[in-house]
Amino acid sequence: MAAKNHRQWLAEPNLKRSEWVDSRIYSDQEIFEEELANIFKKTWIPVCHESELPKAYDFRTVSIAREPVIVARGPDNEIRAFLNVCPHRGMIIERRPSGSFLEGSPSGNPKRMTCMFHAWQYDMRGNCVYISREKEGYQERLCKEDVGLRRLRCEVKFGGFVWVNLDDSPKVSLEDWAGPAFECLRKSLEAEPLEVFHYHKAIVNANYKLWHDTNCEFYHDFMHYHNRVTGFNDAYFARKNEAFDHGHVVVGTFEVNYDKYEGFESRAALSFPHLPPNQWYMIDLFPGMNFNLRGSAFRCDIVTPLAPDKVMIEYRGLGLKRDTAEERRTRINHHNSIWGPFGRNLHEDLIGVQGQGTTMAPGAEPRRILQGRHEDQTIHDENGMRHYYKEWGRWMNRTPSEPESPFVEQVSVAAE
Amino acid sequence: MDASALVRDTIYRSTILLDQQRWEEWLAHCDDRFEYAIRAFSPEINKDVTYLALDRDGLASLLKLLPKHNTDHSPLSRHTSVYTVDVDEAAKSAKAVSSVIVYQTLLDGINSHVDAGESRLFIVGKYLDTLKIEDDKAKFLSREVRIENRRLDKGSHWPI
Ligand code: FES
Ligand SMILES: [Fe+2]
Repeated sequence: MAAKNHRQWLAEPNLKRSEWVDSRIYSDQEIFEEELANIFKKTWIPVCHESELPKAYDFRTVSIAREPVIVARGPDNEIRAFLNVCPHRGMIIERRPSGSFLEGSPSGNPKRMTCMFHAWQYDMRGNCVYISREKEGYQERLCKEDVGLRRLRCEVKFGGFVWVNLDDSPKVSLEDWAGPAFECLRKSLEAEPLEVFHYHKAIVNANYKLWHDTNCEFYHDFMHYHNRVTGFNDAYFARKNEAFDHGHVVVGTFEVNYDKYEGFESRAALSFPHLPPNQWYMIDLFPGMNFNLRGSAFRCDIVTPLAPDKVMIEYRGLGLKRDTAEERRTRINHHNSIWGPFGRNLHEDLIGVQGQGTTMAPGAEPRRILQGRHEDQTIHDENGMRHYYKEWGRWMNRTPSEPESPFVEQVSVAAE
Repeated sequence: MDASALVRDTIYRSTILLDQQRWEEWLAHCDDRFEYAIRAFSPEINKDVTYLALDRDGLASLLKLLPKHNTDHSPLSRHTSVYTVDVDEAAKSAKAVSSVIVYQTLLDGINSHVDAGESRLFIVGKYLDTLKIEDDKAKFLSREVRIENRRLDKGSHWPI
């Protein structure tokens, strides 16, 4: 059919309501604030990997839904998470991205988290152990035992990732939340310790869900020359998108033909434990985390939504801790050639979401974003996104295709 | 030209070739054993990270396939200043350290109507080069682009 006038352009397509979403879910400030409150402050978020704080007293700082978080390894080797906020007058306690508390700071002693402002000090369990001129100022009214850091639920799981939940009473345990989705890779990721070898970040003008959508759909293979030449065969198109409870999706494996792309080598020699060579698994976790294992290299994307039209994405690459220098170099090259900031695919993916972000700026005319492809839940089916948005609707009590209406649980379409 | 001037000249000429995307001519300044890498230190994970590492053949096939890829065509302008050149007369080689600042002038990266024509800072770093000197010619044996950024946004398909 020819191009449309405005009325025709806005007319409903011959698809079900669950087969598109309204673009306002990617641009509306009110919806965004609700997502932070209802989703990001209530779900399990992987914030870093344990190898980023390998020794006692090492720490990492991150943030979830605008709340600063500090993760620290105690002398007992336990990793704990706290709000990185001083209970005195709200100073951020640690400003560096990572480091060690073994050394003292200008305001405080070794082995303490010290707030530089008025020198209150905390131990690795978050207890306040020192208030400067305590008695002089608070007499008997308040003492260090009365204050302390806000502790957060924190677990190290699924290959050594550090998971934090801002909600003290999460709806589901981390195991029940993500365990079934991780099942396909669990043996491989937990056979031996992993180590992060890659980190970079992107801040792009697009909604965080657009990034996750890209990770959830393989139909955009057409954007990647690399995928077209190394994939596109019967086994590739037979890969399944499998839906799991809580909005997660797993894309099954197939054998990648790396030698079809000039300059690329097979990754057979460095497969992860318990995996046949050149396999490719992908786990998309609600509300926006991605774990992607391509033969020799394991990638993790973590989104931090900054505004309706702005997201920070942190990219990590991981290998086996015991890698020799030579093995590590090979793994890093495999990772970077596709997924690095100068790699073949990541740049294209980011241009894609940036382009969507451009057409969905706050205030732009609402439009339908289609996700109605059905291909027996194989690789170019859009069931992954449909599954995600059903879960999103539940958490938000909004219908993704009509965000001003409350969510109504549909009788689920067979096998979705 | 003395060896040190030759090295400077080669670095500056290759900067122009890179800016103009004259990849073949740039590769002609690189020895067969050429090794190229982009690296940084990440205080986030407390490690050196390698963002790209290729030998001459790897670079050549990467450059050859560029037209097959979707890419951000916003041109890059490298501002290079050669800080030091240390010539090893006996080994007929030299090491050079240059500062490099890369600006990106937006073309098709975001919303071209609004952003095209705007220049942004893209990369802050150094070129750590090794060159061989033979028959009054200097050729790159290796280049490490040591960058400060870990925030790279969309990144790039092009060597820096
Ligand atoms: S704000 Fe932290 S000690 Fe005062
Ligand atoms: Fe992609």
